[in-house]
Amino acid sequence: MIFLKFDRRIFQNFDWTLLALVLGICTVGIINIYSAGYSIGDRPFPLYLKQIQWVFLGMAFMMLIYFIDYRVINEAAYIIYGISIALLVVVFLYGYTTRGSQRWISILGFSFQPAELMKLTVIMALARYFDDYKSNEPYNLKELLIPFLIVILPFLLILKQPDLGTALIIVAVSASIIVFIGVNWKSLAIVGAGALILMPIGWRFLKAYQKERLMTFLNPDNDPLGTGYHIIQSMIAVGSGGIIGKGFLSGSQTQLKFLPEQQTDFVFSVFAEEWGFIGAFVLIIMFMCLIFWGLKIALHSRDLLGTLLSFGITALISWEVFINIGMVLGIVPVVGIPLPFLSYGGSAMIVLMAMIGLLMNVSVRRFILQR
Amino acid sequence: MAVNTKKWLKVRIVSGLIIFLVLFIALLSRAFQLQVLSGQKLKTLAQKQHMTTLQLHPERGIIYDRNGEKLAASVMADSVCADPSKITDPVRASQQISSMLNLDRNLVYKKLSEPKSFCWLARRISPDQAASVENANIEGIILVKEPKRFYPNGELAAHVLGFVGADANGLEGVEYKYDDSLKGKPEKLTWARDAKGKKLFLRVEKNETKKDENVNIVLTIDSRIQYLVETHLKEAVSSKGAKGGLAIVMDPKTGEILALANEGRFNPNNISGVLPERWRNRAITDYFDPGSTFKPFLVAGALEEKIIKESDKFFCENGNYKVANRVIHEANKKRHGVLAVPDILKYSSNIGAAKIAQKMGKEKFHDYIERFGFGAKTGIDLPGESAGLVRPVKNWVPVDTAMIGFGQGVSVTAIQLIAAVSAIANNGVLMKPYIVRGFADKDNRLIKLYTPTVVRKVISPDVAKRLTNMLTEVVGAVDGTGKNARIVNVAVAGKTGTSQKFDFVRGIYSSEKVRTSFMGFFPAADPQVAILVILDEPQRDKWGGVAAAPVFKNISEQILNCFKTSIRETPVFDGPKATKVQLVSAQQTLDAENAATDDESTMPDFLGLTIREAMKKAKARSIDLKISGSGWVARQYPQAGRPLGEERICSVKFELSN
Repeated sequence: MIFLKFDRRIFQNFDWTLLALVLGICTVGIINIYSAGYSIGDRPFPLYLKQIQWVFLGMAFMMLIYFIDYRVINEAAYIIYGISIALLVVVFLYGYTTRGSQRWISILGFSFQPAELMKLTVIMALARYFDDYKSNEPYNLKELLIPFLIVILPFLLILKQPDLGTALIIVAVSASIIVFIGVNWKSLAIVGAGALILMPIGWRFLKAYQKERLMTFLNPDNDPLGTGYHIIQSMIAVGSGGIIGKGFLSGSQTQLKFLPEQQTDFVFSVFAEEWGFIGAFVLIIMFMCLIFWGLKIALHSRDLLGTLLSFGITALISWEVFINIGMVLGIVPVVGIPLPFLSYGGSAMIVLMAMIGLLMNVSVRRFILQR
Repeated sequence: MAVNTKKWLKVRIVSGLIIFLVLFIALLSRAFQLQVLSGQKLKTLAQKQHMTTLQLHPERGIIYDRNGEKLAASVMADSVCADPSKITDPVRASQQISSMLNLDRNLVYKKLSEPKSFCWLARRISPDQAASVENANIEGIILVKEPKRFYPNGELAAHVLGFVGADANGLEGVEYKYDDSLKGKPEKLTWARDAKGKKLFLRVEKNETKKDENVNIVLTIDSRIQYLVETHLKEAVSSKGAKGGLAIVMDPKTGEILALANEGRFNPNNISGVLPERWRNRAITDYFDPGSTFKPFLVAGALEEKIIKESDKFFCENGNYKVANRVIHEANKKRHGVLAVPDILKYSSNIGAAKIAQKMGKEKFHDYIERFGFGAKTGIDLPGESAGLVRPVKNWVPVDTAMIGFGQGVSVTAIQLIAAVSAIANNGVLMKPYIVRGFADKDNRLIKLYTPTVVRKVISPDVAKRLTNMLTEVVGAVDGTGKNARIVNVAVAGKTGTSQKFDFVRGIYSSEKVRTSFMGFFPAADPQVAILVILDEPQRDKWGGVAAAPVFKNISEQILNCFKTSIRETPVFDGPKATKVQLVSAQQTLDAENAATDDESTMPDFLGLTIREAMKKAKARSIDLKISGSGWVARQYPQAGRPLGEERICSVKFELSN
């Protein structure tokens, strides 16, 4: 049995590069959260310390997942998916509400966002499905029905919370995986046309604030103190950082609280203000390295399952980084998506670390598995 | 394509990589655009958001004349402002306020009913009004003290002093030119403020608190000379029916302006409704054709270049001299035959001057015009100076050379003219005119003294002397054109001038509208004072010798009466001595000749210096100082100018002024 068979190759071929990249980005994140919370004053337990705690907790999950062969985990993919959906239903029924969204449930005294977990389990479920039904031909609409259901269920539950950002990310990453595996062009065209037809209908289902945000993206100066405030303040902060930045703890826009959500969704503008274009450049390059590495793992995986898992995880991180930074820089509408490893948040950090664990898992097992 | 082949995988993964690469490059470009390309713009935007600045100016510096007479000072006056948000009954409040301060009731009501927390109602009101506002004690109406600029002598030297605006910023004259020095560095408090506009004292980014950076200014103006110049100028302008006039008195050896007056006066205490053309200092801003007053500079150049000598004679064509297609006449249709050079000046012959100019040649003539300082700003420390107009020599046609010889076709400012004639008086050395003598600190200790600046040596002392003799004849001779400026027992050198104003409507020089002028200096042997008087469009006595020369004479006689000895010494005046500012005596004259060799062999002047300054000066010449007292040098022995012997010792006594 492969399960719990501790092979020494698991240690010998440990993916140190990936760990170093992730911990490097996490460190930047913690320093940045320290700065973002610097002028808030005395909190009994500052956020950066909490974030460190989340990183360590996340690493525990990462290691746990690392040691279990991903093919074993795959056996439980649908079960985990089911549990995640169940948690989302619990959120829907009993979750508590902060700032107008019902997103959290309390587990053992910790607040937890099942939607974060859902990102990973959708990837796992899709990978499981396409691995089970390998096809040498591009998939057609009928064959894509189950993947469609796998995606649409959590999408609707998360959209209902409402959490448009996470819902869209799940669609984006699922679409990436489906396009990656190959779709019949005709099917793709039909889906595309359907989406176009559904869009105006979907628009009517959006909350007023969500519509406003999309309109604001198109013209932020319309309402500079209202809905455009986020974008304008964010762009001022980033731009005023200039080339070399204002220096650690010296970002005036950050320290003086002109920036909203500066420890979560808009954490990149804090970073860009204080470290300037040079800092932003280095950080984006670090993310690019991470993505490059993730895709490399997908390429060298011994089986389709490993490829799909690592590609899905990499695509997820890529989309999140792009949408988040793009939003801060004003080239993507404001949707609530955290910046991986940098935004403050326990659920997101733990799930991300778990994903990295899975990546490492795939990465190391190409040395172990025989074809 | 078969799924799961290596090639299939590679194509897909590389495509994925390329897509994400493109997206991330988009991010980088956007960051570059925001942070590098428009970073500065957004930075200012950010600064505007989070910085709030309060400027507290120290009380504006005082302006003194050279004797310590206050010409401009600041007094504290009350201003009324309001916090409309605290006013419960704006109707009643506006009624009360408007009746107390003579303001429009509706206007006050409008201000008081606006949803603001601050507005000005009246600035710098009288003490009586302030008392009544204070007694009324209306909630939300606040009295604050603000400095108000006050000019104790009213119109005196108004064009030199200028004036200040509502927020005590200098807007004209010395007030404008030296605004930064008078105002001082503001006590600048900069706070960071947060997104809610709250001031954050916690993280103050800058907090400059420098006090007393402003200074008091001491002018070269002597208010007594200024007063008599203004009086005589005003009298002349009204008696001759002139449109206006100006007069400048200058120390030819230093360039110090002792008086500068424009007729068409204004009171800087109350400038509301005064038009800019009234406060413009025409002595430096306006330029005009100098007319015959230009002839001495032509003769000076020709003498210096040895093109003419005194005995040379010129045939003056009996009053009709044809140059190119123009016929040149003498003033007042006079007809001169053969005139020697001094006579050309004495009778102010246009034809004679034209012939000298022709003989000299346009290049050399132009060169001397520029050497005398025409066509360039003198650099006087007053705002708005113009350079006049001297056309480039390559554009001169033959008739230009002839006409510029008697001052037509060239434009000069009054300050250029007085500086140029002073150069003749000062052995041929052109000095830069200046109006601020120095700075004094709050306790009226002199902290900076401007020294005279030599511009250049224009002509040799010998030529200057010979020219002075000719100009003395202009005034002294019975038939000289400047005989109206003659003063008993004093040799006056001078030159009259009348220039026809260019009539822009008709495109010719008008014989109706003229500018009549007189410039001169005395005593001819050792000139102490140079004076220029210009009357604009006098209706009576149009010709220079008649209208402007008596003004020169009256001013000069009174200067001589008031200042029994030479006025270049610390002014002696038979009145209570003004002691507000401890002044040093006027600086040693810097003749170009002996500027270098001077000083080393003689005892320097320590008067008025601080101990530190005196010691520095003494050390430079290896003199031992015997110091007694404290404050500023009041006496010294041996006195300044005594030759230095073997023993280089000087006892200096310091005293505190006041």
